[in-house]
Amino acid sequence: MSDITLYHWEPNANSGKPMLALVEKGVPFNSHYIDLLAFDQHKPDYLAINPMGTIPAMTHGDRLLNESTAMMEYVEEAFGGPSLMPADPVDRWRVRWWMKFLDQWLCPSFSMIGWSIFIGPQVRARDPEELKAAIDRIPLPERRVAWRKAIYGLFSEEELAESRRRVDLGIGMLEEALGRHEYLGSDQYSLADINCFNSAYGLPSSQPEDVNDEKTPNIMRWVRSVARRPAVRQTWTYSRVPRFAERIMPLIEEAA
Amino acid sequence: MALTLYHGEPAGPSLTVLAALFESGMTAELVPFDLSLAQRHGAGVPRDFEIDYSVEGEGPILVVDGEPTADSVFIGCLLDDLAPESGLLPRDPYARWEMMAWCRWIIERLAPGAAALANIAWTTPRLAAIDDAAFEAMIAPIAADDLRERWAQTRRGILSDDHRAASEARVREATDKVEARLAERDWLMGDFSLADLESYAWIAPMRDLLPDAFADKPRLAAWLARVEARPSVQRALAQGRTAEPAHGFAPGPEINRWG
Repeated sequence: MSDITLYHWEPNANSGKPMLALVEKGVPFNSHYIDLLAFDQHKPDYLAINPMGTIPAMTHGDRLLNESTAMMEYVEEAFGGPSLMPADPVDRWRVRWWMKFLDQWLCPSFSMIGWSIFIGPQVRARDPEELKAAIDRIPLPERRVAWRKAIYGLFSEEELAESRRRVDLGIGMLEEALGRHEYLGSDQYSLADINCFNSAYGLPSSQPEDVNDEKTPNIMRWVRSVARRPAVRQTWTYSRVPRFAERIMPLIEEAA
Repeated sequence: MALTLYHGEPAGPSLTVLAALFESGMTAELVPFDLSLAQRHGAGVPRDFEIDYSVEGEGPILVVDGEPTADSVFIGCLLDDLAPESGLLPRDPYARWEMMAWCRWIIERLAPGAAALANIAWTTPRLAAIDDAAFEAMIAPIAADDLRERWAQTRRGILSDDHRAASEARVREATDKVEARLAERDWLMGDFSLADLESYAWIAPMRDLLPDAFADKPRLAAWLARVEARPSVQRALAQGRTAEPAHGFAPGPEINRWG
């Protein structure tokens, strides 16, 4: 029995970040699946563990950790196993720069688009009273605003257009960065690759006209090289929503 | 190792990085530039896409052996990696997690609010005094469309009531957080760390704008004085070239688009 418990949803995006880091380092953990679409993360049982009501969270002994990128750095520093940060200080800076850029600039654009076409409509099919109560339970005010926008599809056409612009620009920047280094920000597979892959693996299938072997050979090389890692396949054994697994398994099978 | 630091007035991110550099004990060539006049985008300043798309917006640039780096917290981590005895980051992994999570709150939640208030108060009048053509020429080299748009909005002095209220709430939340955090300690993470510099750099200039957020907070007041008394911070503050260095802001990080 491990003294580490990871509270996570599907093994992608933020939930997938600390999970993939743990698996890559060979650190055993107890998995506790939190159903994001059932709002399990805002229920009292979970708030007793992580008062912020965000997923993922991790307990190590009696210590709580949240904030997925900071959690990954903790996993890297607290446990043995293969190193997931480069040794060179400027490479380490570049890895951190990319994680911030992904967390605050590029991935929110991915998720705004994803929510507007994928998750939002599904959640809206639920009982309106139940939804309202679920939103009212969210502890962080900024998360309440975000969930309200996501659930009721309150993104304006302007906001969505800005997200699409950022995704297009981000694809160009990723292609350039992966042309300079074998991995994102350095020549070593690192936390930045884990961070990026978990949000970007769907690009070749969702935007095949923009991300393909002709236009973005470096992204394609990189996405296959990460998809082929045994740890990636292993994290997907924790998936419970077929729709998510169906999107990534063909890539994993093709890359293998 | 050759270090060159391009920095603005000692407020916000430039203050963090100047003080972190001095804490590290390393030497760098210091090159001051006026962030409020978009000189970060001028000819001769080393840039790459990491500089152009820094989530911090207008901030200092540390050039390490020819490679430009940006974003004050990550430059602080870089300085700690280069000078591991600097004490900028704790050594214990859990303490490091706490520090990075704290700094993330400062960058993502406080900084956009504090920058919005500081810019409307101090940068807007400077930019409004520039004629249209000169302003357009000044911001033309800015690569990131969203950053260039924040410049234009800053010049027009646009800050909605909601946005102002949310920004002021962030500053109050920050001063509350610091006051609570210091219940049994002198520094935010126990020992002095980069978190003290980053938090001080965004919070201290707010004293002039939202004095009530600082009222009746004795631990906060003592901490501000304690940070200010550090030789590294004194030396950073001495780099100021204007009458009010603490007012030297420029369009900063954007408000989280998800709310």
